[in-house]
Amino acid sequence: MTDPLVRARGIHKSFGDNHVLRGIDFTADAGTTTAVLGPSGSGKTTILRSLNVLETPDAGTVGIGDVEIDFSTLPAGKAGRAASSRLRAQSGMVFQSHQLFPHKTVLENVVEGPVQVQKRPVDEAVADARALLDQVGLADKADQHPFQLSGGQQQRVGIARALALKPQVVLFDEPTSALDPELVGEVLSVIKDLTTQGWTTVIVTHEIRFAEQVADQVLFLDGGVVVESGPPAQVIADPREERTRQFLQRILNPT
Amino acid sequence: MRHAIKLMVLGLLALVMLPVGSAQAADDRPLVRVGTEGTYPPFTFHESGDNELTGYDIDVITAVAKKAGWRLQFVETQFDAIFAALESDRIDVIANQVSINPEREAKYGLSEPYTYSRGVIVVKTGTQGITTLADLKGRTTAQSITSNWAGVAKDAGAKVEGVEGFAQAAALVVQGRVDAIVNDNIAVLDYLNTTGSDEIEIVGDAGDEVSRQVLAFRQGDPRLAEADRALEELRADGTLAKISDTYFKADVSVENGGDVDVSGGRQTRSDAEVVRDAAWPMLKGLIKVSIPITIISFVIGLAIAVVVALARISGSRVLSGLARGYVSIIRGTPLLVQLFIVFFGLPEIGIDFPSYVAGVVALSLNVGGYAAEVVRSAILSVPKGQFEAAATIGMGYWQTLRRIVFPQAARTAVPPLSNTAISLFKDTSLLSVVLLTDVLREAQNAAAAAQVFLPLYAFAALYYWIVCVVMSFVQGRLETRLNRFVAS
Repeated sequence: MTDPLVRARGIHKSFGDNHVLRGIDFTADAGTTTAVLGPSGSGKTTILRSLNVLETPDAGTVGIGDVEIDFSTLPAGKAGRAASSRLRAQSGMVFQSHQLFPHKTVLENVVEGPVQVQKRPVDEAVADARALLDQVGLADKADQHPFQLSGGQQQRVGIARALALKPQVVLFDEPTSALDPELVGEVLSVIKDLTTQGWTTVIVTHEIRFAEQVADQVLFLDGGVVVESGPPAQVIADPREERTRQFLQRILNPT
Repeated sequence: MRHAIKLMVLGLLALVMLPVGSAQAADDRPLVRVGTEGTYPPFTFHESGDNELTGYDIDVITAVAKKAGWRLQFVETQFDAIFAALESDRIDVIANQVSINPEREAKYGLSEPYTYSRGVIVVKTGTQGITTLADLKGRTTAQSITSNWAGVAKDAGAKVEGVEGFAQAAALVVQGRVDAIVNDNIAVLDYLNTTGSDEIEIVGDAGDEVSRQVLAFRQGDPRLAEADRALEELRADGTLAKISDTYFKADVSVENGGDVDVSGGRQTRSDAEVVRDAAWPMLKGLIKVSIPITIISFVIGLAIAVVVALARISGSRVLSGLARGYVSIIRGTPLLVQLFIVFFGLPEIGIDFPSYVAGVVALSLNVGGYAAEVVRSAILSVPKGQFEAAATIGMGYWQTLRRIVFPQAARTAVPPLSNTAISLFKDTSLLSVVLLTDVLREAQNAAAAAQVFLPLYAFAALYYWIVCVVMSFVQGRLETRLNRFVAS
């Protein structure tokens, strides 16, 4: 039995007096989809951002593949930054508000990482990028600039950009929250395809029904701890914890 | 970026070194740098037409150099910077009708006199009540502040307004802004003759003392003795008398050498001819000094600004404090003072830049201070998510700045940076204080020789304005280009 691909143990994080993460533990096996649910302020985005060190946890361990950092012993300065960027390179991220580079074309956005950071040959990177754009249904938009695209298209470019680095894990931070309702479907269907193609993903989302369909495991966070975790058939369809039940109730039957 | 700066500095050094290097190869006589105004006819001025530096003092020092075996390099500067230039080793000798007085005797190495003259009092034609030095008490006179005549006027109880050269002083008297001028009779006669002006007149002598003019060296300079020997020989063989005769029809190199007559001197020209003759030298000043220094200083200044802005944003309190202090000092002091400090001040602690480099250093530091705040706010205007997105695709700090942040910050920064660049270009008009011959300096040279102001200064203004129009045009193009990826 190999170790799980993604490992988070005892993650703590405070912003000033606000103790956002109070000891988060979870793991995710390669090729699986993890959906992170929870009310706003529960720390779900912070745990995602801890996995790629956009937030540096105060304590705990994050491991992806064979890179692991114990944050309570992470040195300050250059060595610490080098370790953080090694861990960060294990994952790709899709942002809530896409964060495409506005001054670059769609194709340039996607090849930026492979060419500039991974130093892959341009021809090869461009060919891969075009294949990815085709996969997310935007082959014909390669030479346009982000402002010329709809929100859903922008988000799909964001997904292609994350995948282009061939990361071990793809992190999604509420990928459909900033979209108009009619654009949500096209993005979710792209993500759903990924989950069936062997990508390992961690998705922070409010789309309960979507999570129920695609996730192998669901984490329900509240107050900075994992309240309940397990397969969706259990956590969503038959929650054991009162807090989980109340949350689902509010989301699924808002009135 | 670092390469670009390195290249720029190398290119700059090459620019500064080249002329010196090639001259040295051809001539191994010792180099003596001569400080002179170039705006004080008939002693030191630019001849109309060929624009050569000429005049009585220029001919005398040239003859001295021939006897002493020196190679001369003329450095033109306004009189009020001339002693500072001597002390800071920018020049070795002043040939500019330096009158002997006790302070100068104590401070400098003064040669034997080569000009004897007397001071006269000049007023607007028809002015009543001023004829002697005693009448200057409580009046205002226009003088070069550091000149001997300023001392004479002050001792007589006058308030002294500083000017650059006699022509400016004459203009102030004519305009009624000052009451009188105390100056050398020869210079005044030359002015009256060249301009044909009847708007000012000589009303009397400034005291009865004869004023003696000399070459001034730094104290202890062995070349003083060489100069004295050469002057002695030139006096003995009649060369000094001959030079004097060409300019004054009299021998001013001895006491009571006859009445000065400058009427056979320079021909007068129409304003149009004056402007036409000056147009090319002014354009050269623009192309060789004003524009290149603007470009080099802006590039270096922008690099400084980026570093300072990053230091300001950095988490380090030390870096951020240093950056804040730098910006505060640059913005809180006049550029002119900064130029003086770099050019005349730093040599006293062993940092001695040539003129061109000093100009670039001072202007670059100045631009750096102003542009730093612009760059900082432009960087901060780029959303935090862009930095994060760059981080998640694996980019490092510099890569993120170069490829993601700067291209976006440029959009915000271009309009205010264009203003900085345009100001910088106009500020190059101050460069004559570090002995650089820019557009304005050329205009001043021509104005002093011809005693024509409005057309020449208007023409200089036209040059500046045209360049600024071009810069504004480039700004517009840049803005359009940078805005093209943003939904309107």
